[in-house]
Amino acid sequence: MAERKSKNWILFFAVLFALCIGAFLLLKQGGNVGTIAVIRVDGEIYEKINLDTVAVAYDIEIKTDYGYNKIHVEQGSISVCEADCPDQICVNQGSISTDAVPIICMPHRVTVEIEGDDVDG
Amino acid sequence: MTSMAKTRKLALMAMLTAVSLIVFVIEAQIPAPVPIPGVKLGLANIITLVAIVILGRKEAGAILFVRIVMASVFAGGVSGFMFSLAGGALAYALMCLTVKLFPEKMLWCASILGAIAHNIGQLAVSVWITGTVSILVYAPALIASGIITGAFTGFGAVYLVRALNKLDKS
Repeated sequence: MAERKSKNWILFFAVLFALCIGAFLLLKQGGNVGTIAVIRVDGEIYEKINLDTVAVAYDIEIKTDYGYNKIHVEQGSISVCEADCPDQICVNQGSISTDAVPIICMPHRVTVEIEGDDVDG
Repeated sequence: MTSMAKTRKLALMAMLTAVSLIVFVIEAQIPAPVPIPGVKLGLANIITLVAIVILGRKEAGAILFVRIVMASVFAGGVSGFMFSLAGGALAYALMCLTVKLFPEKMLWCASILGAIAHNIGQLAVSVWITGTVSILVYAPALIASGIITGAFTGFGAVYLVRALNKLDKS
């Protein structure tokens, strides 16, 4: 009885795991190429950049009470290239060019996302 | 309860608090294995689950709260406190509700449910703090990681409960 119950739960978690991995991969692949990158710090919009009009790549340094992040902006994509956070997740996320997955540096409350069709940019 | 048993219980609670604090601080030093924000082992969850089983809900809640407050003093700061509290409280609540459903051997199920709840709670706080709703896209990844880390810490809890029960009998 207990063994069967155990098997059922293993099956349930295995299926849920597979579904979630599948869903995440799909979400990551999907998404539209966007042109407007939005950098937020602590919930407030810090800067909006039109990635189409970036002729020469440049860096933005963000220094707040929470920490330091360096954002690398180039035509069509944006990334966090340096940060003094302990986990370095934001740096390891690499560069983004679609609105599928945003970059996030939780210790410093910095997020970078790309918006699809924003006309005001 | 005799005063001897009371003292014993208090000592055990203090020990579990100390252990969970140490484990929490050590874990914070481990670099993230995948570039997905919020993925971590959650080793301190072992102590929460073990405390629920061995000592009871109230005591486990007290241990959890003291650990979170002290951890944010030592390591996390205020925003670390918010995350730990949201994740920890949600995981604690779900494990309290479900722990009776499972025999001791299957505690890992409660642990997985707790880990998932923890990750969802942290994600919700992240959305609230950063104002970036699109980070919800990480939800499935965080549920998947909760299943793996929850199973891992769950087996840790099963062994620890067994060991502590033996200690009690001797």
